[in-house]
Amino acid sequence: MSGSAVTERALDAVRAKIAALETGGRGETPSLAFGDPRIDRCFPGGRGLPLHRWHEVGGEGMEAETAAAPAAFVALLARPLLKMGPAVWIARRDDLHPPGLAGLGFPAGGLVEVWVRDEAQALAAAEDALGASGVGAVVVEADACDLTAGRRLQLACEKGQATGFLIIRRPFGGGAKGTAGGSAAATRWSIASAPSAPAAGRPGLGAPRWRATLERCRGGRPGTWLFESPGAYSDTEIQDDAHPLRLVAELGDRQLAPAQPARPASPAIPFPVRGDGAVRRRA
Amino acid sequence: MPSAAAPEAPLALVETSRGTRRLAAVDRAAAALGLFPGQKAADALAYVPNLVTAEAEPEADAQALLALVDWCVRFSPAVAPDPPDGLFLDVTGLAHLWGGEAALVADFRRRLARNGLPVVCGVADTPGAAWALARHGDGASLCPPSRQGELLDHLPPSALRISAAACAQLERLGLRRIAEVRRLPRSQLARRFGLELITRLDQAMGEAPEALTFRRPPNPWFDRLALAEPISTPEDLARVCGDIVERLCARLSAEGQGARRFELAYHRVDGRPQTVEVGLAVGAREAARITRLFLPRLDQVDPGFGVEQVTLAAFEVETLSARQAALAREPVGQSSVEIAPLVDRLANRLGTERVWTSQAVESHVPERAVARRAPFSPETPARWDPARPRPIRLFRRPEPIEATAPVPDDPPVQFRWRGRLHRVRLAEGPERIAEEWWKVPIEAASTTHVRDYYRVEDQDGGRFWIFRSGLYAAGAPARWWLHGLFP
Repeated sequence: MSGSAVTERALDAVRAKIAALETGGRGETPSLAFGDPRIDRCFPGGRGLPLHRWHEVGGEGMEAETAAAPAAFVALLARPLLKMGPAVWIARRDDLHPPGLAGLGFPAGGLVEVWVRDEAQALAAAEDALGASGVGAVVVEADACDLTAGRRLQLACEKGQATGFLIIRRPFGGGAKGTAGGSAAATRWSIASAPSAPAAGRPGLGAPRWRATLERCRGGRPGTWLFESPGAYSDTEIQDDAHPLRLVAELGDRQLAPAQPARPASPAIPFPVRGDGAVRRRA
Repeated sequence: MPSAAAPEAPLALVETSRGTRRLAAVDRAAAALGLFPGQKAADALAYVPNLVTAEAEPEADAQALLALVDWCVRFSPAVAPDPPDGLFLDVTGLAHLWGGEAALVADFRRRLARNGLPVVCGVADTPGAAWALARHGDGASLCPPSRQGELLDHLPPSALRISAAACAQLERLGLRRIAEVRRLPRSQLARRFGLELITRLDQAMGEAPEALTFRRPPNPWFDRLALAEPISTPEDLARVCGDIVERLCARLSAEGQGARRFELAYHRVDGRPQTVEVGLAVGAREAARITRLFLPRLDQVDPGFGVEQVTLAAFEVETLSARQAALAREPVGQSSVEIAPLVDRLANRLGTERVWTSQAVESHVPERAVARRAPFSPETPARWDPARPRPIRLFRRPEPIEATAPVPDDPPVQFRWRGRLHRVRLAEGPERIAEEWWKVPIEAASTTHVRDYYRVEDQDGGRFWIFRSGLYAAGAPARWWLHGLFP
């Protein structure tokens, strides 16, 4: 009995040590819960998206060039962070349309938009913005980010207590730049738009949906989900307390075996999902 | 302005006035030979066959005068040009910096002479008296306080800045000294010569006010730092920048003010000022922060043979209540000024037009629904209509697409964009957006710019904003465009 307790304690100590190593001895950073255990448990400590870090968000297919779905996904991830300060959006192409952000419920009137000339300026401006005090979130659109630049962004995040989002956006008609040296990002996402499901009897398009794949998560594990933005492009009042992204379904990861056998079995919903998913969040 | 030419070659500038070539200006050598401005060029060339002539350029002269006025800012911030060839310098309360008016005038003369500009100056209590002393004085250019009457009395009436006609009439009446004019009864003077003479006389004597139009309005937020030795190394330039910013910011701070624009000028020994400017999103007076904004720009400063004086002026000065920073974070919208230093850094590095905040404009035309304003500038109450969905990416130019729409007023069933075929699964619309006919003359309004917008979703979930331009017309093929992308 006592033997197993000692083992347990030793294991706990080792786990704490590993956690401290993973966070670089910086202790616990705050995080933003999605409000659904099916997502939150994939992140370190099961507490949701780590803050004061930077996250890499890419698009799939056409979205790798246009980056419309990743931009919307990032805007919705960043919306709760605006409580801590205004957001800064840095891009080389000036095709971001703030009324579209406003339609998603993102207060675009306070967004500081920065239009840079080249890639190096974009990353330098992002580093500057992340290191400044009073900034809630920094979004930067760039082709790629190598390990050195990523490390600099991370140090700036820790200095300024801001959360960064890097939207990987390929130039039109250009090839993707590989990040051969790995990435310093806390998480890496890949976003694709998913067919919407309008309510029965209602014409037109339904609330926008995205298939979000968490490809890599430092201290967590990957996953794929189907998200919906319930209040987007409608007159309905957006509740401030709820996370703006609503989980519609957890999608089975076709490449990877379940990381934890202890996970409660949830039926894998094949993509695409038509109609309301079988698994819905219990309110 | 007389120029220093070789003594053996008299020079004159020639202009054409009313069909006649006349001399506009003559140099000293030409004047010594009896030539005068206003003389016919042909006569002058007959008297002095070796006269060198050049075309007069009044515009260039005016520009040169303005450049000189700008340069004079090193002496006083209040400088007024007096075309065609003079300027007024308000030196009230400044002379002690040079150790007296005489030293100031000597310094002024020496610096201009070094640049090849001979000048005559007069210093007096009133602009009128100073003008008279400079133009007609006999070397005694300094007028002791409130003694302009005695000095002006023996000058001719033309020293009063009156019109040539009035001057000639006074001369005809035998009035050759200002003293004689002053002895006459004022009412008769006014009746005979107009109010101008009286006004000019009073202004010269200091009995009537005179307003000068200064080149730059006087700015109380101005500081200068004269250097004992000319400096030129980047470290020195940076250090004096820090020093002068600190001085001006201390004054701003003492009076509870902050400024949104600072202009730093390095005055070189050869007289050309090198200016650097920084702008701020909200008023500031933190010396260290403002210096940091200046430092990266100092490499544009070319010190030449050295910089002997530095001036700093603050503009758009506003009252700035003392703020306690970083004690409590206020909600968004109220304390976004906390990121003002960041906005300043980015705007000064990238250019002010590259950092902005979007502002709703009440317009149905999607391209016009957004205006850019400087961050932290006041917001207008306009809002984007939540009932009209707008894309998150809007192309500056709509891209043409090949669409298949079997029913005229229906969305297409499929379209090809950038070489990929998209089958429309769901569609919403149309939202008809016409041109803003109330902004153009009513005859110019037409239906050719009507656009019918549809929000469509393809088989993969991609959402697009497409439109058909023009109204449906039988026979004419409908043209479809893609204008933006929904997330």
